[in-house]
Amino acid sequence: MTNRDDYVIEVDKLTKLYEDLRAVNGVSFNVRKGEVFAFLGPNGAGKTTTVEIIETIRTPTSGEVRVLGMDVTKRKRDILPRIGVLPQGFSSFDRITVGESIRYYARLFGCRNTDVDGLMDLTNLRDKRDAQFKTLSGGLKQRLGIAIALVNDPELVFLDEPTTGLDPHARRAVWDVLLGLKSKGKVVFLTTHYMEEAELLADSVAIICKGQLVAIGSPAELIERNTDSMCLTLKTADAGTLKTIQKMGFEPVPDQRGDMTVRVKHTNDVLEILSAIKGGGIGLPGIDVRKPKLEEVFLSLTGEELHGGTAAEGGGT
Amino acid sequence: MTPRIIGANLTVRLKSFSRERSAMFFTIAFPVILVLVFGAIFTKPEHMNFDLPVQDLDGSTASAQLLRSLADGGVFKPTPVPADAEAVQYAKDHKVNLVLIIPRGFAAAQARRVMQRDNDASVVLTYIYDPSSTSVLSKLQFLKAMAADANQKLSGTRPFITLAEQSILSKKYRFIEFFVPGIIAMAVMTSSLSGALNTNAELRQKGILRKLATTPITRADWLLSNILYQLVLAVISTVSILAVSYAVFDVKLEINGWLPVYIVLEVFTFVGIGMLLTPIAREAESAAAAANAFLFPMMFLSGTFFPVEMMPGFLQKVARVLPLYYVNEGLRSCMVFLDNMAAAKCAAITGGVAAAVFVAGSLVTRWDRET
Repeated sequence: MTNRDDYVIEVDKLTKLYEDLRAVNGVSFNVRKGEVFAFLGPNGAGKTTTVEIIETIRTPTSGEVRVLGMDVTKRKRDILPRIGVLPQGFSSFDRITVGESIRYYARLFGCRNTDVDGLMDLTNLRDKRDAQFKTLSGGLKQRLGIAIALVNDPELVFLDEPTTGLDPHARRAVWDVLLGLKSKGKVVFLTTHYMEEAELLADSVAIICKGQLVAIGSPAELIERNTDSMCLTLKTADAGTLKTIQKMGFEPVPDQRGDMTVRVKHTNDVLEILSAIKGGGIGLPGIDVRKPKLEEVFLSLTGEELHGGTAAEGGGT
Repeated sequence: MTPRIIGANLTVRLKSFSRERSAMFFTIAFPVILVLVFGAIFTKPEHMNFDLPVQDLDGSTASAQLLRSLADGGVFKPTPVPADAEAVQYAKDHKVNLVLIIPRGFAAAQARRVMQRDNDASVVLTYIYDPSSTSVLSKLQFLKAMAADANQKLSGTRPFITLAEQSILSKKYRFIEFFVPGIIAMAVMTSSLSGALNTNAELRQKGILRKLATTPITRADWLLSNILYQLVLAVISTVSILAVSYAVFDVKLEINGWLPVYIVLEVFTFVGIGMLLTPIAREAESAAAAANAFLFPMMFLSGTFFPVEMMPGFLQKVARVLPLYYVNEGLRSCMVFLDNMAAAKCAAITGGVAAAVFVAGSLVTRWDRET
C-alpha cells in the first residue's frame, strides 16, 4: 500500500473554470517519488492548465493540489525553489548566451554552486556556451530550457511538451537528455503529444480528455486494461490464405501492400491460423505479432488521434 | 525584495541592451542626432549662406561693389549669371529659385543720387523667383532687408526708429540651450515608456515572463530592476546628449541637483505609464503602436521642439495636462533660467504624477497566468 509520504504530487478533485468553460473538471491523481509521469491529452484537453496549477502559476477554482506535501495556493514561495519548470514553447533573452542564461537563472534561485558545465554536459550544450539564444535551433533551445529547469537541482521537474515542433533527430537528442534525468532518479512530470515519448520514458501515464482524467496507470497496464486483442500481420498473403483464415471465423483485412492484418484475442489463435495455413499447403509468409500500442489505447479512450504535431499545435489550455 | 535577483535582472537587461544595435541607436544615437541636426539648423543663423545667382548687366565698379556688399552680409554667396543669358530660362535650367538682375545704368543712377544729390535717381533690381519654393521666402526677406538698409544709408539721414534689446535672462542664451533640456526630457520619456511597454509585451509574448513566474523572483524585484535599468539608460542618454551639446555647440547650461531629480521622476512617470498601458497592448506590435500613439503627441504638444506659446490656445491647455510639459518646463527652469522656484513647482507636479501612475502601474502589472 502506498503511503501518502511517497507522493510528490497529489491532485484531488481539481477543477478550473474560465468563465463558462470548464477547462479542468474534477481531476484527481498522484505522482510517486522517483517516477517519470507522462500527462497525455489532445489539444485543448486541459493539460497545460493542470500543469500550471501544479506549478503554482495558476490558481484552481476548486479542489486541492499539493506539491512535495505543500498546498500550491498557500506555499508558492516554498514550492518554487524545489521545482524546475520547462514551460511550453520555452524562450529566453535573445542576446544572452547559453552560459549566461544558465547563470542568470541560477542567480534567481540563489544557487551559488550550480554546476553550469555539468548542466551543459548533461544537455550536450558545452560547445554552444557562447552562442546567443536567438542563434540556437529549436532543439538546442529546448535543451537549454531543460538545463535551466535544473539549475536549482529540483526534486521535481516539469517538462511541458519538451519535443513539440522538433524534427526527429532533435527530438531523439532531447529524449537522451530525459533518459539521463530518469537515470539520476529525478521525478519528471512530462506533458507530451507523443505516445512514443511516453512509452519510452514514462513509468506512469495519465490521459486527460475534455478536462477529465480518462485513464491512469503504467503504459503496459493501460494497454492490457484497454485492449483485448493482438494484431497478426501476414506479409504478402495470397487469396488462398485469405479464404483459409475466413473459414476459421476471423476477419482478415488486406491492405494496399498485399499484407493482411488479423485481430485475434489469444496466442493460441495465432498458432491455429499458422497451422491451418501450413496444413493447406500454402507457403508460410513472413509474420508479425504485436500488442496494440499506447497510441491505439489513446485513440480508443479519447476518440481523438494524438499526433506528432508542430509547436503551433500546443493547445495551451 | 532581493538585491541578488535585482542585480541578476539588471545585468541581463544591460547585456541585452549593449548587444542590441537598434536599442543603442534609439537610446543614444537618435537624440544625439536630433541635437546635432537642430543645433546645426538653428544655432548660428548668422552663418546661413544661400547661393544667389546674380546677372550683372551693368558690369561696373558700382555693381561689383554691390555684389561684395551682398557677400559681406553673410547671408548670400553671389554667383555670376552670364549677361547674355535669359534669366527666367536660366533659373529653370539650373533649378534655382532666385536670380537677381542688376540692370544697365546702375552705376550711372547711383552716381546721380550720390554725387549730384538727385533724389529722383533710382534703380530697379529685378528678382526672378519660384513662388512654389519654401526657402525662397526667407531669401527674399534677407534681400529686402538689405535693400532697405542700403536705401537708409544712401539717404544720409539718421534712422528715426531703432531697436534696442534687453533680455529678461541674466545671460544671453541661444536656441540650442533651450533645445537640449527638451531633448533630454524626450529621450528619457521615449526609452522609459517604450522600454516598459515593449519589453513587457515582448517578454510576455515570448513566454519569458511565464518562465520567470516559476522562479523565486517577486513583483517588487521585477519592478525595481526595471526601474533601475531604465534609470541607467536615462543616465546614458542624458550624458550622451550633454557631451555632444558641450563638445559641438559649446552650450552654457547649469548642471545642478535638479537634473538627477528630474531624471528619476521622469523615469518613474513614464515607466508607470508604460505599465498602465501594458495590459491593453499585450502583443509586441500593438505595444509599439500604443507607445508611438502616446509618445508623438506628447513630444509635439509639450514644448520639446518649440515653445508651447506658439500653439493655438486650446492646444496650450492640452499641453498643461501632459506630464512631459512639466518636465520640459522644469528642466529649462533649472538648466537655463536658474529659477529654483519654478523648478521646484514643476518637480512637485511631476513627482505627484510619478507617484500616482507608478503605484497604479504596479497594481496592474502581473505575470502569472491569470492575466
